[in-house]
Amino acid sequence: MNRGTLPILARLEALKTPARVAPDGARVLAESGHPNPLAALLRAVNETMLARSLTFESSSGTSLTLDVAGRRVLRLTGVSGVAGGEACMAAAALEDEHKDELIKLLQAVAAPRNELRVMSGPIGRDSDGLSVGLPIALLADLCLVELNEGGEVEPEPVPPTVEEPQIDTEEEDFLPALALRMGPALAAWLIQGGSADGRTGGPEEMVSHLQGFLDDEVEGVTRQLDMVSMVPAGPVCIVLGATLVDGHSILCARADGGILLGVIEGDATRTLLKAWNAVRG
Amino acid sequence: MTVSEHLGAVVKAYPQARVVAFADLSSRMVLASQANQAVTQENLDALCEQARTSFDDPLFALSVEAFGEPHAAMVLALDGVQVFLRSESEPADALLCICDHSIDLAGFVARIRQTLEKISAGT
Repeated sequence: MNRGTLPILARLEALKTPARVAPDGARVLAESGHPNPLAALLRAVNETMLARSLTFESSSGTSLTLDVAGRRVLRLTGVSGVAGGEACMAAAALEDEHKDELIKLLQAVAAPRNELRVMSGPIGRDSDGLSVGLPIALLADLCLVELNEGGEVEPEPVPPTVEEPQIDTEEEDFLPALALRMGPALAAWLIQGGSADGRTGGPEEMVSHLQGFLDDEVEGVTRQLDMVSMVPAGPVCIVLGATLVDGHSILCARADGGILLGVIEGDATRTLLKAWNAVRG
Repeated sequence: MTVSEHLGAVVKAYPQARVVAFADLSSRMVLASQANQAVTQENLDALCEQARTSFDDPLFALSVEAFGEPHAAMVLALDGVQVFLRSESEPADALLCICDHSIDLAGFVARIRQTLEKISAGT
């Protein structure tokens, strides 16, 4: 099969799938048992070529509205029930510096075990200048989501153009890059120390618990990381779990003078090593 | 099968596993090992100490508080991945492994879990 046809086949497959429409006219993107609502959200954006305003609503009560066009997220125009997002809301056009905050919002709205719906409407503002905004491919890559559903083969790489910047995670610090590469599998996390000090992800109460632990035990954690590290100055990461393949695991990583502490939900063996290898380069 | 034969079967099935060792964590002793590279007793002693440290406080206490007693640990570094599994029936029994980053970790963990329980059960 010509690898270039894969996105087309994936789209055709998606069109064959019966869509459920909620009473208010919204389209149900992911039922509550969907394995990856975030992937469903990103694919919906990816399939929106013309300029549209998409409102994503979760049955958890959270929602956000994005102006999208040409497989790009142009701007965030509304958010409800989710903390944060101020920088994205204030931006006339989303840029690279907004990607981390936007991913947090997307993860919060596309939370597992909740129904996710989308409503489409006319775009709110002038949609000229489609070269701005964040490419959905970049967000999908950072979230480890395959946009071409069902495709095992990567599509042919497209030569870079001015309008399609290359995905560049090298400028990201090690620990936040690792956290973002983990995607929703890293259910809650925080970074203490280093240049990314204070960055967090996930539900506030879980982050607060991790913060309290690290405040009390940072010396012990540092000592533990020192003892398992064969390369004192290099990045190191410990993961502890009942089995590592199901349930929850604790992740603790150190790099560049900072410590990342987090909780992995589900199979840590599949998500962590892939993220680690991507970040270590 | 002997313990060494069990370990040898793992190393054969997963060439990215550089070292697979069976240890008694309570006595800090590696009882048997198989490897795809040369390893010294000092290397094995260091590996055993790293496994004990991984299953130690404060992260062990956090894990217990969060979801119960951990029986598996990983250490990721630039030079490779270490995987440590404790037996659920005999918690001092453990498999200690050093792997390349390219290993199929999901399949490998499932395989060594099965191997560890067979060794602990004496089968």
